Formats: sequence, C-alpha cells, structure tokens
Amino acid sequence: MAKIRPDYETSWFGRLMHWLENGSTALDDAMTDEMDAHSRDHLVDSEHHHATQEHALEERRHAALEREQRMYSSLHQWASTKGSRLMRWVYIVASVVMCVGIIALLLNTAANLPPYGDPDNPVNNEVSAHYITQGQAETGAVNIVAGMILDYRAFDTLGESNVLFIAAVTVLVLLRLAPSRDGKPTTEMLEAEADDRLYEPKHDMILQHQANLLVPLILLFGIYVVMNGHISPGGGFSGGAIMGAGLILYLNAFGFRKTERFFTFRTFQIVSLMALAFYACSKAYSFFTGANHLPSIFSPGTPGMLFSAGLIPYLNIAVGLVVCCTMYAFYTLFRKGDM
Amino acid sequence: MLDIIRFVISAALTLAGLFCLLSGVVGVYKFRYALSRVHAAALLDTVGILLMLLGVIVATGFTVASLKMLVVIAFLWLTSPVAGHLIGRLEVTINDELSRDADVLDQDYVEQEKVPETTTTPADDTQEEAQ
Repeated sequence: MAKIRPDYETSWFGRLMHWLENGSTALDDAMTDEMDAHSRDHLVDSEHHHATQEHALEERRHAALEREQRMYSSLHQWASTKGSRLMRWVYIVASVVMCVGIIALLLNTAANLPPYGDPDNPVNNEVSAHYITQGQAETGAVNIVAGMILDYRAFDTLGESNVLFIAAVTVLVLLRLAPSRDGKPTTEMLEAEADDRLYEPKHDMILQHQANLLVPLILLFGIYVVMNGHISPGGGFSGGAIMGAGLILYLNAFGFRKTERFFTFRTFQIVSLMALAFYACSKAYSFFTGANHLPSIFSPGTPGMLFSAGLIPYLNIAVGLVVCCTMYAFYTLFRKGDM
Repeated sequence: MLDIIRFVISAALTLAGLFCLLSGVVGVYKFRYALSRVHAAALLDTVGILLMLLGVIVATGFTVASLKMLVVIAFLWLTSPVAGHLIGRLEVTINDELSRDADVLDQDYVEQEKVPETTTTPADDTQEEAQ
C-alpha cells in the first residue's frame, strides 16, 4: 500500500494531480493557501487578530482572481494576434516540409526501382514462370489471373470474401433498425421509412422505363462476367459488383415494396452464408486432397469450355453472390436501415 | 490520302468532344445554383462523350471494338440524361424555397412533388394481398 505524505495536498505533485483531475482556478489556490495558513496559525489563534486576518485573506483571494484574469486575457490576445500568425507559419512550413519529404522519399524509391521489363527483375522468379507455363494445364483456366486467385491462392480469396462479409455485418450492427421482439416495426423504423419516401422523387416514369430496359441487361451481363471468369477477364468480384449495381437500379426505380418480394434480410443472410460456407468447404476438400496426393473428383477439363477448370466457376459464382449481396446490403442499410 | 482524311476527322471529333466536356466543367464551377449546374453537366457530358467515342470509332475503323463502342454510346445515352433528370427532380423535391432560387413555371407540379406519399404499414400490405 502506497503511503501518502502528510503534506501531499500542498506539495507540487499533489497540486499537479489535483489540477489534472479537476482543473484549478486562482480561487482554489487561494483557498489552499488559506487552509495552509490556518493549519499553521491555529495554535496561536487569538480573537483580536482574527478580523485583520480575514481581511488580508480576502485581499489575497481578490488579487489571485485578478492575476488569473489578466493572464487569461493576455493569453487570449496573444493567441488571436501573434499566436494565430505564428501557427499559420508553422502550418505552412510543416506542410511544405512534409510534402517535400514525401516527394523525396517516393522519388528515391522510384529511382531505385529495377528497370521495367528486365528479365533479371525479382518478380520474374520461378513462381510466375510456373504460373504462366503450367497454369493452364494445372488449373484448366484460360484466364491465368482466375487460375491464380481461385486455385493457387484460393485461401487468400476466401479471406477477401470474408472481409466483404465482415464489413457488411459491421454496417448491419451499426445501422440496422431491427424490429421489436414481437415483430412489429418500431417507431424508428417507421420514421426512417417516412423520411425515405419524403426525400426522394416518387414513381419516376422515365427512370422506370429505363430500368425496365436496362436491369435485365445489366444482370445478364453480370452473370456473363461471373460465369466466364475462368475464360475471359472478369470473375466473381467484378461480376458481383455489376449485379449489385443492377439490383440497386431496380430498387431506385421501383421502391422497396417491389424488391422486398425477392430480396429481404433473410435472403441476404442465407445467400451470403451459403456462398461462404460452400467456398470454405470446397476449398477445404481440394486442399485436403492436394496435400495428401489424393485424386480429386474435380478435373481441370478442357480449357476454354464453360464447365471446365475444376472448382473455379463454382467458386466464382460463390464470390459473385457474396459481392452482389454485400453491395445491395450496403446501399439499403445506409439508405433506410433495413432491407 | 485516305489516312490523312480519317485522322483529321477523328481529331476534329475528339477535340470537339473535349471542348464540350471542358465547357461542362467550366459550367459546373461557374453556375451558382444546383439546377443550372446539373444542366451544364448532364447536357455537355452526353454530347462530349458521344463526340469523343465517335472520334475513336473513326480512328480505329469498323471492327468489333468499334461496335462495342457504339454499345457504350447507347448505354451512356440511356443512363446519363436519366441521372441528370433525377438529380434535378431531387432538387425540386427537397428545396423548400424553390421560387427564390429558380423561376417556377408550374407551381402545381412543385406542390404535388412535395406531398409525402402516404406511408403504409405492413398490416395494410397483408390486407391488400389477402383481398
């Protein structure tokens, strides 16, 4: 147990701690002094000294208050005239120094980069050579990038899908206005709904006609990009983003009452979780068979065909579904707090 | 000779498109009110992109890539004016003092736009569906 010095209250450390905890005014200091004087004088306290003592203490309090006010006013004056000018200079100098420093650092890095396209560069090692020469035969994907991210480095892509999912869950926790226990919408939900319909153009005919034409095309294009991820540039992430944009356009044109028919919060839960679970299970299977040199039931197939490249098309579909649901969920949560 | 003509045409189209986009940018920064800015941005955006992509099509000749460029033009002409229209309509919906900022020709339309849609509770929906 820590011992406290008897004069802790009046020591400089005690005063510092007191000031840090409660702040301090000149009046407090004067009172402390007064208590100090009292404790020293109370043995020799006598009646006729009392009145003069009170008077002196009163004057000291007054002087302390005035001193404090003078200090604050001079500080304020300094800060509003010389201080602000000084701080502006400090800001200018600091920003220039930081900019020049960062530019110098980046230029130094760029100057020390290896020459572009040199075969001796560190990136041209056996890994990339293996991907380029053996990738198509081993994974069956014509698109080398898809072969890399969904076969050689599929674990990394699982992490990326999980990052998206976790981001959506975080937004859900922060922004979702959940119905009360008995299933009835709370007043907050009704308010959010009323706001949503108030600050939005209603039933825009032009947008509805355009959406009638474009939404099927956008969704089809998204599905095309997802399904051809192993044949041509594209894949789950880009295709899923396109499909999510199509859903958002449909929502903006026709409102929540139409989208609630096929996409509710339950749909989001089921689709995201099933897609992520399918991804994890199928990659666990292929890691297990690959590590133990067992034959896998997924063969690379004929490169260039739609159903080739083993697991890659299915993994692309899973990633696309997660990305699509996440995009749509972000939009609806930020707009209304529900789906 | 044909190459030179083609180059001149494509360069002229591209430069005209750049001029349109630049005037759109100037308009966005110069105009004071949101509807004027939307006007500048939406109008010149559409024309500028059309002219620039036509310039690129003339430069590349008739290939599959230029067909895709035509599809891009069609997509942008469908989407960009609608986006401008929606931003303008949003401004009409949420600006409470529209007549201070702009000349209102059809006051009835503006009033109608501001009336909130009657909010229906989920109970009403189920009744409708039951009927």
